[in-house]
Amino acid sequence: MDMLQITGLHKRFGDKEVLKGLDLVVPEHSIFGFIGKNGSGKTTTMKTVLGLLAADAGVMMVNGEKVVYGQTATNRFIGYLPDVPEFYPFMTAQEYLRFCGEITGLKKSENEQRCKELLTLVGLGDETHRIKGFSRGMKQRLGIAQALLNRPKLLICDEPTSALDPVGRKEILDILIAVREHTTVVFSTHILSDVERICTDVAFLDHGVIGMQGTLSDIKTKYRSEEYLLETEHDTDLLMLQQAFPNLRQTGKHQMIFCERDYTMFEVLRFVADQKILLVKMERTEPTLESLFMEVTRN
Amino acid sequence: MKSLIACMKKEIMEQFRSGKLMILGILFVLFGIMNPAVAKMTPWLLETLSDSLSQSGMNVTSVTVTAMHSWVQFFKNIPMALIAFVLLESNLFTKEYQIGTLVLSLTKGLERYKVVVSKTVVLTLLWTLGYWICFAITYGYNAYFWDNAAAQNLICSVICWWLFGLWVIALTVLFSTIAKSNTGVLIGTGGSVLAIYCIGLFPKVKSYVPTLLMDGNSLIYGIRDVQTYSSVIIITVVCSVVCFATSIPIFNKKTI
Ligand SMILES: Nc1ncnc2c1ncn2[C@@H]1O[C@H](COP(=O)(O)OP(=O)(O)OP(=O)(O)O)[C@@H](O)[C@H]1O
Ligand SMILES: [Mg+2]
Repeated sequence: MDMLQITGLHKRFGDKEVLKGLDLVVPEHSIFGFIGKNGSGKTTTMKTVLGLLAADAGVMMVNGEKVVYGQTATNRFIGYLPDVPEFYPFMTAQEYLRFCGEITGLKKSENEQRCKELLTLVGLGDETHRIKGFSRGMKQRLGIAQALLNRPKLLICDEPTSALDPVGRKEILDILIAVREHTTVVFSTHILSDVERICTDVAFLDHGVIGMQGTLSDIKTKYRSEEYLLETEHDTDLLMLQQAFPNLRQTGKHQMIFCERDYTMFEVLRFVADQKILLVKMERTEPTLESLFMEVTRN
Repeated sequence: MKSLIACMKKEIMEQFRSGKLMILGILFVLFGIMNPAVAKMTPWLLETLSDSLSQSGMNVTSVTVTAMHSWVQFFKNIPMALIAFVLLESNLFTKEYQIGTLVLSLTKGLERYKVVVSKTVVLTLLWTLGYWICFAITYGYNAYFWDNAAAQNLICSVICWWLFGLWVIALTVLFSTIAKSNTGVLIGTGGSVLAIYCIGLFPKVKSYVPTLLMDGNSLIYGIRDVQTYSSVIIITVVCSVVCFATSIPIFNKKTI
């Protein structure tokens, strides 16, 4: 079953159309990477799913139930971590989590245990100060803890690792992997290495629609545009190649990359043989998420 | 129910830790003491002024102060306490909109009406507590210095004023769900009260507008009797309930 299903979502702010018929399907138990440039509408999409923003058109289903704006009943399935989470500054982390547990109706004993467990998990176990003095990273950690508190079926995180140091980032990614068993995770990000590390599925948001969507491996095979890396012995040879094949991309002092789409391998090799260019290396490379991202958002 | 109690607990904790509770406590106690104190000092004040007054041609006869003077002070000062109360609490909702603290609670599936209910209950509680503490202090001093029996319909008049405060709170809640900033709340609440007050200046409708409840003096002097207040009491209660009931659907559709 699909945990989240969005069809034909439109949203405009004034005369700016941010989402133009977005379709998205998030299968259960996936870790779903939601990728897009700054201002492409990731946060807007998430807020609409949470009923915080009214959609202009389109249908959203969470766990088979329709999302309504305002008093949103589907939120009981969801744990949400906003891009900049805001808590009551006069509470301590423990008090805040306990409050969250109480408003979601957890039993008292379970609540206590869960709070303790989660605070330790996110590394705030010994923190007794009020939230007022928390750093952004600490707030982000508390944000993860509150999102996981009532064991949501769907966890929506808006750039969960953006304020974290490298160690913290790894810890949070590990948490996301660990909760996958019970929870479907959707997270937005710019950090493609995070996506490659943990995601099972990805979607690229561009110009208000989903440019590409599928499992990570599917997308990589499907959009594989054969890329070759060439390394020559002398830089003069490189110049010569570049004159003959203007679409070659230079990536190092002696290195360049070309796409099968632009020039066939044999064409280039023939030139190399004719000109007697000394090659150090020639290699077919795996397409990276980054090159896919570039391709989707090319124009 | 459990989540509603949790929300109220949070509200009270906020009042306590932000220092608002202490400010309100001091305010109401101070006003409670001030009423009899000002009454008590009136003869002394007049005496010290009498020299300069008689020079300017005014003749000061000595006044005997009764509990009435103190109660008149009470009805003169309590509007100030209510204004301070509304000023202090006008950001109860709007602060949460501005910081965005409601987002996490609401996206956990907390029903929106519980936010409105918990805040209204806490406001009502604070006003009731503060108001009656203020009353009790004035009453105590008056009984000690003079005799409260001088004031007619005393209980009725103070209940009327308390009810007026509740109506203002209902307005505050309503405008808190409409407006985005506390300036908006203050303009909305203040404007409504002022408008109703102006309407009340027409003699024909005077007896039916909530601002009549502020006129405690007419009751304690026995100028008006309790029966003439019965319709306005009902009207005020209905108005307050309607304000509160309207604020819930408005809040349900609000962009947080
Ligand atoms: N409340 C609003 N009023 C007007 N425009 C808005 C509003 N919220 C978002 N936008 C516009 O919608 C577009 C998408 O914003 P959104 O925050 O969804 O982007 P994003 O993909 O989350 O970006 P980022 O990667 O920086 O977080 C932006 O161009 C922004 O200017
Ligand atoms: Mg964003």
